[in-house]
Parts: sequence; C-alpha cells; structure tokens
Amino acid sequence: MAKLTKQDLDQIKATHQDDGKDWIKVGMSTCGIAAGADKVYDFFVDEIKKRKLDIQVKKCGCQGMCYSEPLVEVRVKGLPDVIYGRVDKEGVMKILDKHVCGNTLVKDSIYELRTKR
Amino acid sequence: MNTKLVFIKDTNVTVDATKDFYADFLNLLRENSLEDQVQVVRVADMGIYGQGLVVKFPEADIIYANLQENDLKNIITKTIKEGQVIDELLFKTEPKQLRIVLRNCGEIDPENIDEYIALDGYQALVKAILEYKPEQVIEELKISGLRGRGGAGFPTWLKWKLTRETSEAQKYVICNADEGDPGAYMDRGVLEGDPHSVIEGLILAGYAIGASKGYFYVRAEYPLAVERVEKAIKQSYDYGFLGKNILGSNFSFDIDIRLGAGAFVCGEETALIASIEGRRGTPRPRPPYPSVKGLWDKPTAINNVETLANIGPIILRGGKWYASIGTEKSKGTKVFALTGKVKNSGLVEVPMGITLREIVFDIGGGMLSSKGIKAIQTGGPSGGVIPREFLDTPVDYENLQKLGSIMGSGGMIVMDEDDCMVDIAKFYLGFCVDESCGKCVPCRIGGYQMLSVLDKITEGSGKVEDLDKLKRIALAMQKASLCALGQTAANPVISTIRYFEEEYQDHIVNKKCRSHKCKHLLNYNVIQDKCKRCRVCVINCPVNAINGDKEKGFFVDPKVCIRCGKCYEVCKFNAIAKE
Repeated sequence: MAKLTKQDLDQIKATHQDDGKDWIKVGMSTCGIAAGADKVYDFFVDEIKKRKLDIQVKKCGCQGMCYSEPLVEVRVKGLPDVIYGRVDKEGVMKILDKHVCGNTLVKDSIYELRTKR
Repeated sequence: MNTKLVFIKDTNVTVDATKDFYADFLNLLRENSLEDQVQVVRVADMGIYGQGLVVKFPEADIIYANLQENDLKNIITKTIKEGQVIDELLFKTEPKQLRIVLRNCGEIDPENIDEYIALDGYQALVKAILEYKPEQVIEELKISGLRGRGGAGFPTWLKWKLTRETSEAQKYVICNADEGDPGAYMDRGVLEGDPHSVIEGLILAGYAIGASKGYFYVRAEYPLAVERVEKAIKQSYDYGFLGKNILGSNFSFDIDIRLGAGAFVCGEETALIASIEGRRGTPRPRPPYPSVKGLWDKPTAINNVETLANIGPIILRGGKWYASIGTEKSKGTKVFALTGKVKNSGLVEVPMGITLREIVFDIGGGMLSSKGIKAIQTGGPSGGVIPREFLDTPVDYENLQKLGSIMGSGGMIVMDEDDCMVDIAKFYLGFCVDESCGKCVPCRIGGYQMLSVLDKITEGSGKVEDLDKLKRIALAMQKASLCALGQTAANPVISTIRYFEEEYQDHIVNKKCRSHKCKHLLNYNVIQDKCKRCRVCVINCPVNAINGDKEKGFFVDPKVCIRCGKCYEVCKFNAIAKE
C-alpha cells in the first residue's frame, strides 16, 4: 500500500466516524476471554446470522471492569448505550430478544462504567 | 416509541432493598397509568456506592440518591409527569476516573488501525513530524512533566534529552512491556486494548531522540498482547507510519518484537538489554546508564508501556494541558490494577493526587467482605504496605515513598483483616528470592536468609532479636545490591515491620497469628456445644486426627492434625474453631 499523507489520514478518520448504525461490542482481552467472552462473541455472531438481524458484532479491548467480565456494550438506536456484565449464553439471548429486537433494556445485568455517565 | 427509562439500584452493600422498591415503583406507575410510558430497569452496578436507593434517568442525566419509599410519589408526579428536577433529592457526582492511557481501551477494535485513526490516532505523529523539531517534542514533554510510569518516576523528557545529546549516530528506543509484578496487568490491558497508542508513542520517542530502530520487549506470558502488537506493527508498516521516510520526511523507523522468557529481573533495564542482545538476562552496574551506553553499547531510551501511551495525547493536546492534571510534582494520570479484597477489581485510571480511599471506596465499591480494610499494598514486590490510617493520603510518587512504599508500575492490592502481614511479607520476599538472578551476593544470599527468618517466625520458632536481624540484612541488601530487584526486595518486609510490628511480636512471643493464616500457629478444635456429632469432620479428615464417639463428643488431636482446614470447611454447623 502506498504511503499515507496527512490528507489520507484525515480521510480515513472521516470515513470511520460513527455512522449511527447499531452495534454490539464484546470485550475480548485476556480478562474477558478467560471469563468466556470468545464463546459469547461466537454465539452472538451465530444467533444474529440465524435471525438475520441488521446489527454488527465488534471486538474491543478491556473496559477496566474486570470483575464483571464478559462485558458486552450494546448500541441500539433510541436507547442509551449500555454495558451488560457477566454475560453468558442466556444473557446473549436476553440481549437479542429484549434489547435488540424488543427495544427494552435487560434488567439486573447492566453495569455502568465508572468513567461514563 | 416514547418510553422514558429509569435505572434503579440499591447502592448499600448490606441490605438490598431494590426488590421492594422496584415493585412499589411499578405499582405506582400502574396506578398513574404510566406503565407503558416508563421502563424501570434494575441495574447491576451504577458506579455509585453507599448512597442508599438510587434512581437515575439516563437520558436527562438526573440522579436521585438516598431515597425513601415516600419519595416515589414525588418522583412520579414531578419528574416523570412534569419533567421537573427535585433539587433536594439530587445527587451530584463527578466521575473519579480520567482516561488518557486507557482512552481507547474498550472503545475500539484493537486489531483495526482505522478505528484507532478515527479517534485521533497517529495525529500526534503527523503533528510532530510535520510541525515539530525533535527538540520541540522533548520540550513539550518537559512542560507536561510526564514521569516514567515503570515505577521509579524518572522524568521522561530528561531521559530522552540525555539520549538525544549523545554523539553516537546509532540510537535505540525500547518499549518495556515485561510486566511481572504479582497482581499487576495495566500494560497487558493497554497492549491488548489499544496497541497502536503504544506504537505511536514509540515512533515519537524514536523521532525525538533520533533513533532509527525500536524494540518491543514483551513477556511471552502475554500471547494475546504479542499477537495484537504484531498485527498492529504490520498495519502500521502498511500505512507508512513505520519504515522509510515516514510521512515524506527524512525520518525512518523500524520496530521489532522481542519476547521475554519469563524472568522478572528482565524488567530491569540493563537485564532487559542483555536479554535483547541474546545474552543471559542479568543486570550490570550503572552508570553508564542505558541513555549513554545501552543496547549494543549504543545510547538507548527505555520506556514503559504506559509512559509511551501518554506521549500521543501530550503532543496532540499540548504539555500544558497534561501539566494541568495531577499534583505539583506528579503530573497526569496513573493506571492502577485494583485487586485483592475489593468489590470491583479491574483497571482504573485516576488523576494523580486522588486519595487511596477514593480509589478503594468510590471507584472500587468498597470491600468484598464485611471485614474491615487493613492495608493496601502498592508497587508489587518492590513496594510496601500502606495501613488504613493513611487512606486519605493523596497518591503521587513522593507521598507513597514517604510512607515506605512506591508507586511502582501500578499494582494495588487491597487487604482485609484476614490477611496476615507476616505472610504477605513472606510471599513477596519469596517471589524476589525465586526471581533473583543470583549475580550479586546481597540479593542472592540476603534474600534467602531473610526468607528463612520469616519462615521461622511463621512456624512459631521466631525470636525477638530476629526483627533486628531482618532490618540489618535489609539494609545491606538496599545498600549493596546491584539492581533495583535486590535493593527493593526487602521493602515489603521493612514496611510491614514498620506498621505492623505488633503482629510480628504476636507471632514471635505469643505464637499466634491473628489472621489465622500461618498454619503452624493454628489449632483446630471442636466446639462441643455446637457439634451435632454428625461425624462429617471425622470422615473427611485426611490424617484421622479427629477421635471420639457420639457420647463423649469428638476432639482434634493437635499432634496428628496437619492444619489442612478440611474439617473447618466441611462442618455444616460452624462447630470447628480455628484459633
């Protein structure tokens, strides 16, 4: 690939800005994976394919709240971004049924980040 | 759909009243026929602790705390129906954390360079190469007041300046990612969550000191971090941030990865250099410092992962901005790995000058058990313990040193009344004895001797004069050891003696361990009043130390007992006493 210039960099920055689409982010650092985040990630991908949902599943690093891994952050239009903690397969189903399809938040599993308010 | 969201949570640890409150809330909503317009969500953690029942309206960002049942009506009529804020219930909170190093961790896909670029990634590099001379980069760092985050707190700008000013043509920069303190994983978090920020910092370091080659020294125990750094370096080459003539300038820079084979001492800079050169990882006397004679005898700047992750934001937002955060002598933020007996363990990044109490109770959510906090261990095996009397000390390099501990790389282990300080000292010293490279005598022999004295104390055969002996050997190690490992290995012992001497005396004179940790000083007994004669302990005892019968009761024979604690675990009636 050719060398980037400042203009190219700005262009990449512009094209990768938040496009307002829905996404699910799974924390995939060692702490998350140790708690089962890779299984949660795969399960999300499978289920979304099965249900033909229009939502992207992404990987990200450690949010810092290692006590509540695996952490899953969900953005769905019309709802605030929330982070679900200690997500397992059952949790994945709940998030997809209620949050992604039903437009309601799943109770008892939201962990609010201590930096964001 | 136009539903309002309400988050509720009981932030008190002892009794959780959320269930009733939740039901009342729903009932009241139903009475007001608002149940379709409001969604009440019980959340698992709100980031607020010890404030009773808390209700939060996430969209309007209103938080009410310390609520009583009769406040509910008010909230529904005023806030939900009319959208008013009830001032007397309002709870104001500032986020305690400030994320500079961890800015992208958990935000971006660490394996995708474009996501890093979208959040201002590599902009600092562009700014530095197009607008700044190398000296100006160093000048900016000087203004920022950034100090090395590896533990010792040496000013980063000075290290770079010294390296830059040497006359050699070939210079090197090294990223020290050989993180080995027990309980610390800040660097792993950064490398796995945002590897490009460290790479950008390393390239900037290379630019500032005039190096053409950089090394990542990552410990092999971090396979995922290594994999992500490798990927990130490749992407960086593809985009031309690494390689020849970066961004069309004369500056060329290459990065290689070297894996550490797991020796703790290789985090020490001269041992690290030896390890990269392919020699045995042992330290050598300094001076000459690596900034004069480092890798292959060329001037070398070695920086910690966290230090390097700070460079980008400093260049981009200016040294003045960075210097506005923190205390007079310690600027910026510090990442801590908060672990131990604390409710919310994890990575926290806080501005310097925050108190330990704020970290443990406001961010960490308080203690895991009902037992009180006893001490906080900072700085890993080179650090010490800080007893609870000093919880309100602002955290910075100088203050922690005054208390006999160090900032270290950022491990912070919270201990409660169940932790025996002699045992803790023994653990850390044992770690250093295992990891001592054996090159210099004070560390190799001093450490071993101190450990055997501690062993004696925990086994109940310690003498009062042993404490003086420990102090004497510690002094010799501090003065005469070759590298920081030996010089600081005695710190955990010295600081526990300083603050918890009565606990040592207890072990030595009374032959008692008040935390019930040292098993040689423990005795298990059957409490006859509570015992139901079920014989579970008898069946489970691996050495048949529990004798007796159903009429007379059962007794533990201390001569046979190996203090494994099995009877204590299996008894369903709490009828085994540990003393």
